[in-house]
Amino acid sequence: MSQTAPYGREVRIRIGGPAGFGIKAAGQSLARVFAQAGYRTFDLTEYPSLIKGGHNTYHLRVSADPITSHVMATDILVALDRPTARLHIRELTPGGALIYDPKDFEPDADADLGGRDDVCLVPVPLTRIVDDAGGIKIMRNVAALGATLGHMGMALDGLESSIRAQFAHKAPEIAAQNIAIAQAGLEHAQGAPCAFPFALPAAEQAGDLVLADGNEAFGLGALAAGVGFYAAYPMTPASSLLHFMAKHGDAAGVVVKHTEDEIAAMNMVLGSAFGGTRSMCATAGGGFSLMVEAFGFAGVSETACVVGLFTRPGPATGLPTWTEQSDLRFALHASQGEFPRVVLAPGDHAEAFEYTWRAFNLADELQTPVILLGDSYLSDNRATSERFDVEAVEIRRGKLVAEGDVQDHPDALAGDGRYARYKVTEDGVSVRALPGVEGAIQVVNSYEHDEFGYGAQAEEASIRVAQNEKRLRKLDLAASMVPPPNRFGPDDAEISLVFFGSTKMPALQALQWLHAEGHAVNAIQVTTLWPFPAIEVCRFLCDAKINLIIEGNATGQLEGLIREQCLHAVHHRLRRYDGRPFSPELIYATVKQLLGEPVELNAAGALVAKEDFN
Amino acid sequence: MPEAKAFTNTNKPTWCPGCGNHGMFLALQRALAELGWEKREFAMFWGIGCHGNGADFYDVQGFHALHGRSLPPASAYALTRPDQHVVVEMGDGDGYGLGLGHFVHACRRNVALTVIAHNNQIYGLTTGQASPTSDHLMPTVSTPQGVLEEPVNPIGIALAEGATFIARGFAGDIAHLTSLYIEALTHDGFALVDVFQPCVTWNKINTFAWFRERVYKLEESDWDATDRVKAFDLSLTAFHELTCAPDTCKMPIGVYFRETGKPTYGQSTPASAEPGWRRALHPRDVSGIMAKL
Repeated sequence: MSQTAPYGREVRIRIGGPAGFGIKAAGQSLARVFAQAGYRTFDLTEYPSLIKGGHNTYHLRVSADPITSHVMATDILVALDRPTARLHIRELTPGGALIYDPKDFEPDADADLGGRDDVCLVPVPLTRIVDDAGGIKIMRNVAALGATLGHMGMALDGLESSIRAQFAHKAPEIAAQNIAIAQAGLEHAQGAPCAFPFALPAAEQAGDLVLADGNEAFGLGALAAGVGFYAAYPMTPASSLLHFMAKHGDAAGVVVKHTEDEIAAMNMVLGSAFGGTRSMCATAGGGFSLMVEAFGFAGVSETACVVGLFTRPGPATGLPTWTEQSDLRFALHASQGEFPRVVLAPGDHAEAFEYTWRAFNLADELQTPVILLGDSYLSDNRATSERFDVEAVEIRRGKLVAEGDVQDHPDALAGDGRYARYKVTEDGVSVRALPGVEGAIQVVNSYEHDEFGYGAQAEEASIRVAQNEKRLRKLDLAASMVPPPNRFGPDDAEISLVFFGSTKMPALQALQWLHAEGHAVNAIQVTTLWPFPAIEVCRFLCDAKINLIIEGNATGQLEGLIREQCLHAVHHRLRRYDGRPFSPELIYATVKQLLGEPVELNAAGALVAKEDFN
Repeated sequence: MPEAKAFTNTNKPTWCPGCGNHGMFLALQRALAELGWEKREFAMFWGIGCHGNGADFYDVQGFHALHGRSLPPASAYALTRPDQHVVVEMGDGDGYGLGLGHFVHACRRNVALTVIAHNNQIYGLTTGQASPTSDHLMPTVSTPQGVLEEPVNPIGIALAEGATFIARGFAGDIAHLTSLYIEALTHDGFALVDVFQPCVTWNKINTFAWFRERVYKLEESDWDATDRVKAFDLSLTAFHELTCAPDTCKMPIGVYFRETGKPTYGQSTPASAEPGWRRALHPRDVSGIMAKL
C-alpha cells in the first residue's frame, strides 16, 4: 500500500506533558538520533511562558525525503500525562500509537480517545522502569524515547550514543543508567499488542546535514562574519542567541554583554560600532520598542550595525512564547525621522545563516543599520539543513580606513584638508576612518550634523538638506545589493503565492505537495522587505492569474505594502494571528479550495487519512 | 606634547557667559595636555544637555550620544577598543535622570572609563526645570511648589555600587579640577568626577558665590581616601540644603575614595584584548562549531 498524498515517507512523533519534564531535551535527543541516521527532521516546540507546569509539546517530523517544515499530523503520541492524550488524540493518524504510562491513567474511550477505535494503545510502565533502575522522575522521558524507538521497530544504537554524548561530562554510571532505562522502554514497547504500521524506509545517506535551530543559524552567521561585539537583554525568542554567543564568545573573540536593558544593548552596539567593531544585538518586538531611539541614532550617525528582530505576538508582552509576523511595519517604520535602513527576512535556517553574514556586509557598505526580521517559528525550531555554506562567506567592509593616516585618502578630506566623516558623495556613502587613524578627528552625533559631524552648523537649512539627501541616496545603492526575491514553481501558474519570512517553510512544503499532484502553482518569497523589491513583485503579480498573500498577522501588512509599492490588486489572503505558525496543511487546503478541489482537514488541522506506506 | 588649545576647534562655545562649563572645558584641556595624550589615543563621549554641546567645541574623536545614554556606548567602545582611552561627559539631568540605571551598572562593572558629571542641579538646555540633583524644596518652572524628592546622591550611589575612583570638583577652581582630572584619567578602572558647575542662567541659589563660601578641599583635611564606609558617611553629610548657612554647611571637594588593583571589566574579558575591528579582517571559521551542533 502506498501512503495517501500528500504526506511523504515519514513518521511524526509528538511528546507532551507539563513543563519541567525535560520534554524538549528528550525530543531533541531523538531528533539527533534520526538526523545522524541520515533522515531529515523538523521539530516544532510549543510551550507556555512557564518554567514548571502548563502544557508543553515537542513535535518531531522524520522523513526519508527532503522536507521544509513541520506538519500537524502525528503517528506516535507520547503522553507523559493525561491532558496530553486528551488534547492531541485528534492529531493521531489512523493506526497511530498512544504511548502512555498506565500508572498515570488508563485511557478512557471517550474522554481520552475521543471515541476513536483506530488508535494503537501502547502502555509502557515508565515510572516503574525508572524506579527499577533507581532513576528519578524526569528520566521517564528517556524510557519514553526507548519505547518510541521500540514501537517503530528500531534499534537503540543511535539513542545510546546520543545519551553517551549528552552525559559525557558526567560520571559514566549516569549514562549507563539512562541507557538501561531506554532499553527497558524499548523492550516494553516491542511487546505492544499492535505493530506500528509506518516503519520508515531506510534513509538514503542524505549528505552532510546540520541540525540547528534558527538562532544557532543566526549565531553562526554572525560569528562567520567576524562579529566582535554582541549585546542583548534576554527576551524570548532571542534569548537562546545570547546564550549561543556567550558560549562561543571567549573562544571566538567576541565581547558578549548581557546588558541591564535593551536600551543599553542598542546604545552599546553604537559605541562598539563607532570603534569599527562588527556589532549586533537581537531581541523581540518589546525589546526593539526600547531600542528604537538608538536605532534612529544609528540612522542619522550612519552607524553600521545589525539588529535581530525576532517577533512574537504583540503588542506589549503579548504571547511571549508563540509566533507571529506582525512587526513587519514596525521594522520598516521604527524611529522618528527618515533614514535608510535595510530589512532582511530570512525564510529558513540556511537563509538565517546566509543573510546574517550578508547583513554585516550590507551594514558596512551602506553604513546604516540592517534589521534581520525573524520570528519564533524560525528561532525556536530545529531542522536538518544542508551544511551551511561557510565557504561562501566573504567580508566586505566598504569604504573603511582602519589604520594609517587619513591624509592618504584624498576622497575622505574636505577642501581644507580636514577629515570629513560625512562628506557628501554621489552614492551617499562617505569614507569611514576609524578612531585611532591619524587625523581622523570626527564627531558621531545624535543631532543632525555637518560634514564633520558637528551639530550646531547643521541647523543651516542647506546642510540639513544635503546630509538628509546624502543618507537617503543609499537606498538606491541598497536596492542593487540586497538579496532579490526567491521564485518557486513554474512561470505560468494557476495560482501564485506571496509570502515573507518563515512562512517560506510551510509554503514550500505545500507547494511540493501541490506540484506532486500536478498543480501549476508558483510563489514569490519577499526576502528583502526594505528597500522593497517593487519591480520584481509587480512583475510576478502582473504575470499571476490569481494571487494569494499569506502572512502571519491580522492586518495584512505585506498586502498593504504590495498595494502601496506595486499598486496591484490582491485577490485572496490567508492570515494567521493565533500565535501558531502556518502549517503546510492549511496552505495546501487553502490553495486546493481556490483550485476548486476542497480537501478535508481534521479538527487538529491535519489532512485526514493516512495509510501505511509499507 | 600637545598644548591645551590643541584640543579645541574653531567653533565658538555657545555656553552662557560665566557658565561653569567654560572652567571645566579649560581644566580638561589642561589635564589632557599635561598627560600628553595625542588626539588619536582617546575618544570622548557626551550625553545631551548644555555639557553635550561641548561635542562641537572640542577637537577630539567624539561621540555625542542620546540623552542619558553616554555610558553604554562609551563602555562598549572601551571594551572593543582597548587601545584607546575613554572620557565621558554627562549632565546631572542626563546621567542621573534618564541615565541613572546605566550609571549604577557602569559603577559596578568597573569598565575603564573616566566619567565627568556636569552637576549644576538644574536643567539648563530645556530652560530651568528641576534636575535629579536639585535641592529638596527648590522651586523651578516644573516644580513651582518646590522639588518634593530628595536629591540623587551620585557619590553615595557610586560608592555603594563599587566604583573604584570617586571625586568631586568645583568648576570655580580650575587648578584643583585639573589635578582631579589627571588622577581620574590615569586611574585604571571606572572613575567618577562629579563637578559642581553652577548654572548662571537658571539656578539662582547654588551659585559660584554660594559654593565658594562652602567648599573645602579633602586633601587639605585629614582624609583617608581608602575608607569606603567613611566616604559613604561623608557623601550623606555633604548634602547641600537651601537653608544651610556657610559656617555650618561645608562641601568637600577632592578625592572621596580610591581603590587600586581591582581588575577592570575588560581585563576579565579575554575577547576584549584586541581591537574588535581586527576580528573582521577575514571570515571566522565556524565549521568546528557547526559540526558539534
